[in-house]
Amino acid sequence: MLYDLRVIRAVAIKDIRSALTERLFSSISIIVPLNFLLLFLLFVLTGGQAPTAIVMDDSGAYAQQFVSAMQGAHSFIIQQTTADEAQRLMAQGRIVAIVTVPADFDSALRDGRQVELPVLVNNLNVDYTNDIRRAVPLAITSFYAQAFPDQVVVQAMEDDVHSHDTDYIQYLSVSIVVISLLIGGLLQAGVSAAREYEAGTIKELLLAPASRWALEVGKLLGALALSVVSAAVVLGVVVLVLGVTPLYWSEVLGFTLLVMLTFIALGLLAGTLVRRRTSVIPLSIGISLPVFFISGAFGPVQWGTPALAVISQLQPVYYAIAVFQHAFHGFQTTPFSLSTNALVLAGFTVVIVLASATALRTRAMP
Amino acid sequence: MPLAIELRGLTKLFGALIALDALSLSVERGEIFGLLGPNGSGKTTTVNIVSGLSKPSAGEALVFGYDITREPRAVRAMLGSVPQETALYEELSAWDNMVFHADLYNVPSRGRSERILHLLDLVQLTERKSSRVSTFSGGMKRRLALARALLHEPQLLYLDEPTLGVDVQSRKALWDYILGLKSQGKTVLITTNYLEEANALCDRLAILDRGKLVAMDTPDLLKRRYGDAVIDLELDPSPSDRLVKGLRALPGVNAVAKHDGHIQITATGQPALAAQVISLVTRDTTDGDAGAALRSISQREPNLDEIFLRLTGSGLRD
Repeated sequence: MLYDLRVIRAVAIKDIRSALTERLFSSISIIVPLNFLLLFLLFVLTGGQAPTAIVMDDSGAYAQQFVSAMQGAHSFIIQQTTADEAQRLMAQGRIVAIVTVPADFDSALRDGRQVELPVLVNNLNVDYTNDIRRAVPLAITSFYAQAFPDQVVVQAMEDDVHSHDTDYIQYLSVSIVVISLLIGGLLQAGVSAAREYEAGTIKELLLAPASRWALEVGKLLGALALSVVSAAVVLGVVVLVLGVTPLYWSEVLGFTLLVMLTFIALGLLAGTLVRRRTSVIPLSIGISLPVFFISGAFGPVQWGTPALAVISQLQPVYYAIAVFQHAFHGFQTTPFSLSTNALVLAGFTVVIVLASATALRTRAMP
Repeated sequence: MPLAIELRGLTKLFGALIALDALSLSVERGEIFGLLGPNGSGKTTTVNIVSGLSKPSAGEALVFGYDITREPRAVRAMLGSVPQETALYEELSAWDNMVFHADLYNVPSRGRSERILHLLDLVQLTERKSSRVSTFSGGMKRRLALARALLHEPQLLYLDEPTLGVDVQSRKALWDYILGLKSQGKTVLITTNYLEEANALCDRLAILDRGKLVAMDTPDLLKRRYGDAVIDLELDPSPSDRLVKGLRALPGVNAVAKHDGHIQITATGQPALAAQVISLVTRDTTDGDAGAALRSISQREPNLDEIFLRLTGSGLRD
């Protein structure tokens, strides 16, 4: 037992020293996860709302109230312009739509006449086009409910499950923490394992009388220590820069360690199987992206198709996102309890480490 | 007392390819034993099985009486290994490599530093103990790998091409270390493509070809089996078939090979053969117009290359 502990410690320290001398590969395991964080945040920040120009040919009270209703729809980035300026912006491709409030808007409403609201849509992207098609009628309904409360007789009486709303960025940034840990763990551990084969030093490990278990655990802990840096950077950006503060710090710390162990074990397995550092990098990214999209990164998977829900439950990222969403926001995104999700993750870690030790034994030498 | 290595009917298959074909051999304790063979002959596969890196498809491999498939860790604890690619961590210092090896092999902490220093001193690397291995020459890396392999005091040392890519001075030093190991009672298993090296170091040699053992003996006995003497003749012009036929008929001659103006004769147990050859060539020259003049003649012992070529039909570097 003492001998095993000695081997674990020696392998972990050796891996840390080796990684620190190879700054290029070590920095990749920090830069790539951060890059993903920025990439997805840019996607969120640029993709949420449609830039729209409003041309106000009427400046009456109803017209102003209608503009307020549009702003409250959370679907537009609105700028008020003249008709000519709006056309120029449309021609330059800087806006998706022009909504014109006609000159007789207020008087027509007072007289009970029908009002035609011109909406010019640049329909080159159906996603944005549908946003406009949905949000303009929504703004009209909202405007009516405020301006003529007696005429709108159906009202939704909302009762919330959670005490607070969770912004899309807040939800997604937590999921991005998970993918960053996934990529960081895969790269750090994968490179560490593959380097042993590339340099031929795997023989030094395999020829030793030490148990394969001790070697694997040593490599696991070495990569874990190195991955703490990238995890701290990513969590720091999410908490300090984006202002997404965890509800339960103890859960964040505990689940970060558990999730890192799972993904590092996966990286060790990948590195042992592919044996080339240059193959580990594209493989890590190639695994991470599709897994991320099917794991409930953008919302609970159960709200999607049943087949997707089943597939996503077969891999650890699904459970990792669930425990992190609980740690940050306090809600459940899976049908399972928090402890069940954590236990499944721990089970994945044990199975993957076993598979990795088996790969080390069976793929030792031809 | 069990043998250092005992292989019984060792077979290794890679799909349809037979890498080892019922190989049986034994290595005595305290012996320096050489494995020779062209590329793909099964040397590396044999050593991988002996060191527990690969499992045999059939047969048994015992190291000091321990079955490698049932007690691999016991075998690995007694084995020191210097692979061809040295397997050193080049990004670490020589000292760190030694300390890591000590931890892997559970070398007691007490006296560890002294032992590392002693071994680095033995291979003349004490002054470079803090330098990164990546700054070492090929010879220095080999010496460090040897020191590392000796750190846990193994009973059996395996050296894969120990002097490949090493300069002449380092090679001589490495040979001295290896011969010194024998005097300490260690068993040494060497794979090499340098027959001169095998001749200088090994007590016995096994020649493998296509996974089979084709010969095993001491270097001297292998040479004797091939022939006591080799006589090289240079004639001008090319010798006649009649002369070649006459040479083949001489008592003790095993083989006569003719190539342009050269003839090589391999013979056994005939000390006066050179005189008989000269007499025959001279008579051939004077008997007729077609005779060839003798330009030179030399007699020597056969070398291992010739034995190897004869046994395997190919050169070592094929």
